[in-house]
Amino acid sequence: MSTTEPSTYNPDIPSAPITKTTSNIHIELTPHALSPSSATSFVRSPSAGATVLFIGTTRDTFNDLAVSSLSYTSYPPLAMTTLFSIASDILKKHELDKIAIVHKLGECPIAEESVVIAVSAKHRKAAWRAGEEALEEVKGRAEIWKLERFEGGEGVWRANRDGVMGVRVEDGEGGTGKKSCC
Amino acid sequence: MGVSKAPEGHFSILYFAAASTFTAKSSEHLLAPLAAGQLFALLEQRYPGITDKVLTSCAVTVNLEYIDLEGDGDGDDAEHRDLVIKAGDEVAIIPPVSSG
Repeated sequence: MSTTEPSTYNPDIPSAPITKTTSNIHIELTPHALSPSSATSFVRSPSAGATVLFIGTTRDTFNDLAVSSLSYTSYPPLAMTTLFSIASDILKKHELDKIAIVHKLGECPIAEESVVIAVSAKHRKAAWRAGEEALEEVKGRAEIWKLERFEGGEGVWRANRDGVMGVRVEDGEGGTGKKSCC
Repeated sequence: MGVSKAPEGHFSILYFAAASTFTAKSSEHLLAPLAAGQLFALLEQRYPGITDKVLTSCAVTVNLEYIDLEGDGDGDDAEHRDLVIKAGDEVAIIPPVSSG
């Protein structure tokens, strides 16, 4: 989906982090800068031999167009439920020790972290696979939307899975499924 | 989300991303009850063009549960077309997501 967005659009963003934490799962949507080291610390465990950390950062171009800023909006109660469900499923499937998923909301300056996923497992193979699968599930399902603003002020809502559910491509510029970040 | 409670006889509807752009609002209150199967027609009436431009690619939730308005393509009727949206319900229009 690709929709022209006025430069003044200003979605509701929670002023404080929204978190859900159990002994082995940490989920967070936050307006603050992400902390990869906090996520890594959370998943540290004496029974884990492998920790995998993924950091998604915002890129400064989309199809060679200069992106001046990005912001993320969400439906927090639904996104938290979805993220927790993804984490629970992956924890179980890959027999992880722990998993942390943290996503940025609001303005995300170029080159800063927009998503952090940390997982720990007894062995490296499970950790690698779980980390990748968690990211793909988050990108495919979490109710979070990215608004890219280009130099000049115009904005476009991105869709991670353009082409599914009959998404319309307006002008060939959007809808390629390419994104300006991870 | 800062959504005010729906007045008596109304439900809340939340618009995200492109749906919010098209309607120029993040939420509003609409008259209840409403058959879920009539929701897109009502929105089209209020926001001409929204179906083609936005809604065809959107999912819908009622009280944080996804509802099926289109069926699964094998000839069966959509599961929730007969579901009735009641006063006080929270409905949301969910465009394709783009986290990461």
